[in-house]
Order: sequence, then structure tokens, then C-alpha cells
Amino acid sequence: MMLLKIAWRNVWRSKLRSSVVILAIASGLIGGLASTAWMNGMADQRIESTFAIETAHIQLHNKTFNENFEITKTIDSTNYVLNEVRKIKGVKSATSRISIQAMASTASNNTGVTLIGVDKEMEKEVSMVYSKIDSVSGNYLETKSRVIPTIVVSKALAKELKLKLKSKIILTFQNYNGDLNGSPFKVVGIYKTDNSKWDKRFVFAKQSDLRRLASVPKDETHEIAILVDNYNEAKKISEIIQNKFPQIKSEDWAVIQPYTEMMTSYMGIMMYVFMSIILAALGFGIVNTMLMVILERTRELGMLMAIGMSGKRIFIMIMLETVFLSLVGAIVGEILSYTLIEYLGVAGIDLSSMAQGIESVGFSVVSYPKLDLYSYVEITIMVFITSVIASIYPAYKAVKLNPTEAIRSI
Amino acid sequence: MSVIKIKNITKTYTETEVPVHAVNGVDLEIEKGEFTAIVGPSGSGKTTLLNMIGGLEKPTSGNITINDTEIENLSSSDLIDFRLRNIGFVFQAYNLIPVLTAKENVEFIMSLQNIDKAEINKRTISLLESVGLGNRVNSKPTQLSGGQQQRVAVARALASKPQFVLADEPTANLDSVSTSQLLEIMEELNKKENMTFIFSTHDQRVVDKAHRIITIEDGKIISDVRK
Repeated sequence: MMLLKIAWRNVWRSKLRSSVVILAIASGLIGGLASTAWMNGMADQRIESTFAIETAHIQLHNKTFNENFEITKTIDSTNYVLNEVRKIKGVKSATSRISIQAMASTASNNTGVTLIGVDKEMEKEVSMVYSKIDSVSGNYLETKSRVIPTIVVSKALAKELKLKLKSKIILTFQNYNGDLNGSPFKVVGIYKTDNSKWDKRFVFAKQSDLRRLASVPKDETHEIAILVDNYNEAKKISEIIQNKFPQIKSEDWAVIQPYTEMMTSYMGIMMYVFMSIILAALGFGIVNTMLMVILERTRELGMLMAIGMSGKRIFIMIMLETVFLSLVGAIVGEILSYTLIEYLGVAGIDLSSMAQGIESVGFSVVSYPKLDLYSYVEITIMVFITSVIASIYPAYKAVKLNPTEAIRSI
Repeated sequence: MSVIKIKNITKTYTETEVPVHAVNGVDLEIEKGEFTAIVGPSGSGKTTLLNMIGGLEKPTSGNITINDTEIENLSSSDLIDFRLRNIGFVFQAYNLIPVLTAKENVEFIMSLQNIDKAEINKRTISLLESVGLGNRVNSKPTQLSGGQQQRVAVARALASKPQFVLADEPTANLDSVSTSQLLEIMEELNKKENMTFIFSTHDQRVVDKAHRIITIEDGKIISDVRK
């Protein structure tokens, strides 16, 4: 108890020096935590967008569909499969899609696209594309047209093909019978997600229209997309589905989008790398400060040894001082980091000036940093370990002092 | 009864170009309750002798026995523990722990001995009262005068109930009033509690109070006078 008291008070003996060290630790942590939170936020938004817009959590296909995306490689008895999948514990929602590779043409340009035939209401439970159409950019296949089928395209594609709302676009594709079909579609909605590359590729039409136009047999589709309650359970649920329907290929998000899987692992590793570099630098700073402390208190340490304080107690005292100093710095740094991260988590970091580059790799222009409580606890433990390691050498130097020489020192 | 028995000790420093014989063949016995001053010119070897008695330095040869324990044979950690339980130290520069109050400075030494908290508190108050600082228990060293700090140091030295107190030039930094007060306190403790005090000093006022005066020169005792 007395050692704790002495160590704590010793921390505040040189207020200026301790404050500088505390500020150094705090600044390091703010830098490390804020940048980690920023990366986390970006990654999380990217992952959420991947699940909500692009891949869902699990996709089912005909076993050979992904080889050439052939229109005839369908899932049979789609409705039965859908119903069975929905019964599995942990499955939140599921929808079926027709997927056709097509050539989109307008008077000014043409490009290859993937034409997705959706059941509008079921699709809304799985994909958030409908929410990416703002009020002035039409709607998600709501407009009824008796003459020609309707379609939703992205802003990026609209720009490339010079399309506006109500514009017509010709989509040419091979139908189920192997014949080439060319059909006009009317643009009723223009969406925009954070991934401009993905946007350029996907267009959405009603499943019933595509089934008719491409002669896809009843109850057959190309894809079943599934959302689960917890994305970490996706692999397990995918395996259950695979076992239940061995004729179909079931893949979870980590298989469909290995990049996303890599990113989640990468962000975790990056946090450790970032913090390790920062803490290593802080560790050397702490060693330097504590060596200075020992130099200044040589006489006092000598006196303590002379009057009967054991080397073990001196070692513990120096270690406690280092740990106290570091933990105060850590707490100050974490409070400031938390405040900053919470503020930016709401206000966001806007990188509009780099919008083109950021969106081309699928990230949102405005990112919202976030860091979970666990990370703060982890950082505190890391600072604690660093300070314990950093205190070893100075404490060893203190123990090795010769009391008589130390008492004589100025 | 001898508290300290010193037999033919020498201390030679060989770090210098020419070896320095700081203490050269000293034999000495200190009895329980003696109030002894070791005097001599600077560099005569008094502090080295005191350091060796206190187990802070090991003699090059000879042996020192304190209450039947030959201290030169103790390991470093045993020696620290031995000092804690048997020897009280008073230094020229007071050397109190600056972050602790007068009371805590005295308590500290007892906390190292793992003494019961209630006992520590009782003894601390009693010691600080005996050195005339009962009203300054919560003062930090920087709030005390030099004389008051040295009195706290004396209370601290006595806190562990040592066999004897070693005081290295305890009055060197004190004015005459503080010196008189300090000497009176130590004399009182010597009489009342039969506490053994050994001083190294240049101060004639300390010499005048001492019951035994050992003069040392060139590392050798040249006179040993009991009053």
C-alpha cells in the first residue's frame, strides 16, 4: 500500500515532465485509435454495402452457373428451395433472381451488363438497392408500363449511356432456347451505391418480364440470395443448405467476396500493427523518461536501499511508477480518442475531393469512424504490457545502484 | 555488553591509480547505550568506517560482528534485511522521502517490516512527539526546516527499533539552535531508551555531548577516550 502511495505521488513530482509523457502517450493513442476507427468505419461500411447491395450473405446457384453464366444453368424448383431455406434457423430473408448477361445499347453507346430479374417485394427484404434511388431519380420498378418493360440502372451507367428517366434502352441477350433477343426497356429508376464499378455492371428489371422475354421456365431462377441474422454464422448456415440441397452450390460471403473476408482480417491485423508501432515508440520514450527519473533520484534511491528497502521493492516501485504514468496517459488518450471518434462517427469524414478514386474501389466518400469497446480494453492492456516491459530496464538500473555511491551523488 | 565488535578491519579502494587505504587495521567495540562520536579530519576514514559498520560497504579484510552476526558474510539481500531490522540511519542531508509527510516517512520504515497498521500508527505518533514534531505530522519535508527534517530523520531511524543509530555528520547542515535541539533529543533518547548512537562528525558541539570520542586519522584510530 505504501509502495503504491509513493509510486503514485512520484509520478506527480515533476508535473511538467509527467504531463509531457502523458500527452505523448495520449497523442499516440489518439493517432492510433482514430486511424484504426477510421479504417474500421470504412471497412464496415464497405462490408455492410457488400452484404446489403452486392452479395447478400449466402448465394445459391446451379453448380455450373458461375462458369459461364449460361441462362440454362438454373436452380430447379426455386419456390420449394426458397421455402425450405426460410425455415432454417438464423435465416432472415431470401429472394430469387434471374440473372442474364446482356448488351445494353442506346443511340450513343453500348456496354455489357448483368440484367437481374427481381421479385420487387422479396428483393427489398434482401437488397438495399431500392434505397439507393433518391426522390428525384425515379423509383424501384414501381412505375407501371403496359407497353415496354421497366428497368432500373445506375447513375454511372446512365452517364455512360447518356440515359435519363423515361429513356429507352435496348438490351440484347440470349434466351433460354439459345435465340438472340433484343428488347427495349424504359428507365424508371436511377440508383447510386458507393461502388461505381459494381453500379456500371448491374441493371434491374421485374422477374416476370425477364422470365417472359428470355423464356425462362416457370419456377426456375439463377440465383437465390439469402440474408442471415448474424453474418458470422453465414458459413455454418451455408453448409446446412449445402447438405440439404447437394445439387445446388451454396456459397457464403467469404467465398463469394474473398476480398471482403480479407478486409475484415486485414483491418484487425492493421490495428495491431499500427498500435504496436506507436506503442514501441512510446515504450522507448517511457524508458528514456524513467532513466532520467532514476538519474535524478539516485541519492534518494541509495537512501532507500541504505535504510532497508529491498531491491525487489525498489524494482516494484519503479515499475508501478511507469505503469501509473502510462495508464494515466492511456486513459487521457482513450477519453480524447473516444470523444473524437464518437463525434466523427456522427459527423463523418468527407473525402468528396477524392470521390472518383474512393468510389472506384467500392468505398463510401463519407466514412464514419467506429471502434468497439473491446478495442479500447485491448489497447489499455497493450499499453499496460508496454509500460511493464519499458519499466524493466530502468527498474533494473535502479536496483543495481550502489547505496553508498548513490547517497554521495548530487 | 558489546553491540558492535570490529576486528582488524581494512578498507582499500583499488579503483584509483594508487590504492587508497581508507580504513587500516581498526579494532573497536561499542557497548550498548554508548553515545559515541567518531572524529577526524576530512578523508580520515570516519565515513568509510561508519558505512562498514552499517553494512553499506564490505571491508577488504577483518570482520564486523553485530549482536553475534558477522555482517560481512551476509548476502546482499540478507544485509538489506539486517539493516532494516538492526540499524537506524541519519544522514547529513536528511534524505527524507519528499513525496511523503513526516508521519508517512516514519511509517514507511515500519511498513517495510510488515508491522501491524495500528502499531505503526501508535509508534509513529509517539516517535514524532518525542522529537518535538507532534504538531507537524502531516507536513511534507519541503514544509519543514532543516532541523525539523533532521528530527524526522531521527524518528525514522528509531522507528524500526534498531540496535543502534548511525549518524553521518547529522548537524553539518543545521544552525546552532537546531543542532542543540537535535542533540538534546538524541541525548534524551540515549538516556531514556538506552539507545546506542554513533556519530561521525566535525562538529565540536556534538563532540562536547558525546560520552566517548574516537579519533581517527589516515584510517587508524589514534585515540579512544571515554568521558
